[in-house]
Amino acid sequence: MIKLQSLACGFDNHSVLEDITLDIASHLSILGANGSGKSTLARAICGLTGYEGEVSLFGESIQNIAPKTRAKTISYIPAKLDIYDSFITVFEFVLLGRFPYKKSFFEYDAKDKIIAQKTIAFLNIRHLSSHTVASLSSGEQQLVLIAQALAQQSKIIIFDEPTANLDPRNAKIIAEHIKGLKEYHQIILITHDLHLACFVGSPIAFIKEKRVTLYEEGFFEDANLEELYGVAFSSMAVRYA
Amino acid sequence: MALHLVRWRCGMLKSLLWILLACGVLIAPFIGSVELSLADVLNPEHLSHKIFVELRLPRVLFAFFAGVVLALSGLLYQTLFRNALMTPYTLGISSGAVLGAGIALKLSLGTLLFGVASVTLFGFLGAMFTVLLLVYLSQFLKSSHHESLLLLGIALSLFYTSALMVVFYLGSAIQNDLLIRFTMGSLSIIGWNSPITLGIIAFLLLLLLYLYRFELQLLGMSETQASLKGVHTKRVTLLLLIASSFAIGVLVSMSGPIGFVGLVVPHIVAKIYPSALSHRVLKTALFGGFFLVFCDTLTRGINTQSELPIGIVTAFIGAPFFIYLIIKGKK
Repeated sequence: MIKLQSLACGFDNHSVLEDITLDIASHLSILGANGSGKSTLARAICGLTGYEGEVSLFGESIQNIAPKTRAKTISYIPAKLDIYDSFITVFEFVLLGRFPYKKSFFEYDAKDKIIAQKTIAFLNIRHLSSHTVASLSSGEQQLVLIAQALAQQSKIIIFDEPTANLDPRNAKIIAEHIKGLKEYHQIILITHDLHLACFVGSPIAFIKEKRVTLYEEGFFEDANLEELYGVAFSSMAVRYA
Repeated sequence: MALHLVRWRCGMLKSLLWILLACGVLIAPFIGSVELSLADVLNPEHLSHKIFVELRLPRVLFAFFAGVVLALSGLLYQTLFRNALMTPYTLGISSGAVLGAGIALKLSLGTLLFGVASVTLFGFLGAMFTVLLLVYLSQFLKSSHHESLLLLGIALSLFYTSALMVVFYLGSAIQNDLLIRFTMGSLSIIGWNSPITLGIIAFLLLLLLYLYRFELQLLGMSETQASLKGVHTKRVTLLLLIASSFAIGVLVSMSGPIGFVGLVVPHIVAKIYPSALSHRVLKTALFGGFFLVFCDTLTRGINTQSELPIGIVTAFIGAPFFIYLIIKGKK
């Protein structure tokens, strides 16, 4: 349960979002043009950026939640993997998702390792387990990022443009995983990918001119899309089956 | 060839490397301008015993601990700033220490100030001042732009070098000779004070990095990801930076700047052990220690009128090896 109360944020003296009040009780897909503030909104929800107003998770202000507790509540999957340690293996990378549960200064215990293995198996990437993360393709890296977030076992998962760098086949694989995860997690999906948003089927929050409009249905009507994006659409002709 | 056989052979080679390095450390105290034999060393009445206990052994241990501090600091800076070129040396911290020590030499503040050698104290202050300045200035940089921090460090280094030139210009011939020696780096220490102090500092730094190895692993991904996984990013970063800078400040004020160890050793260890960072902390520390002892033994073993400065040897070995690694890595 995410509650935003009169939220306003921006950066470099430039306002991005203004007066946003939103109760996010279930799944939500956030759409909007480039630079409209989708990622800023996600960063505010995670408490990663300064803001005015109030952001709370399950009734507690995000500012007052300890980092480990926050990590058990919410996880954030970036669009692209950025990693300096080019030798870390998939298994070790997924295991890092267990950090909030690990005793300070100690190794990851057997339970953490089992959860990491199960997550890897769940996403069908067991064959990559001992590969280095740096050697994987973009699609495989996205799966590994998802595996790490799943190992984190947080109630809320935020996907930030998960299909941005993927070909249609890999995008479909990711889309199916996201849809499947709705059963176990609250999924916040940030994307430009209309097919993905349509396939996942969550209510849509569209950000335009610093404000948010909610759509339970009717978002994908051609006329509505044309009005929001300013370009003509032809029945979103290509959709995931 | 079967994979397990290749692995076995690789493992054997690695074990052999460590054994050779460890043997090198055991032999190192016996090598130098005066040859020492084991029998003489074991005889407390003999001059060799005195040389061994008061000169050679402390020096080898000092070199080992210096290598540990330099290699660990290199690993830490490279990981925290996600840049293979980040070391206390490239960030200007060593230069700050050299300038501090230079000023102390120029002002002829005497050997002792508050019970500490003035060169040591000023060198340490120079290093700490630089770290605090970098931490302060980094607030004005975007957190993801670590290249800017590297440029700041390079600018500071150039500024310090010019300031050092002024010290040279104003200095007497004797002062300048001392200063030039200091800037070349040297592990010539006498007695046990320096190795014991540095040993404690090296151990504490290793312990700290080992305890925080998983936090460091996450910080090596990105500050955002580390924070979202539950790391107190600011607290941990500052703690690790200040600890390593303290260690570097103390070391540089005792030995002068020693380049290339912090830059090269973490990369060499990563090449030998291509594993996650959390597995490499201890190995990097040990390899750094062994590497510097090896270089120092060379400075004493090569017959010249006086022994070669250590900084020259580490650069002569480190630079070509580093170039080889970069070219091999790119292929």
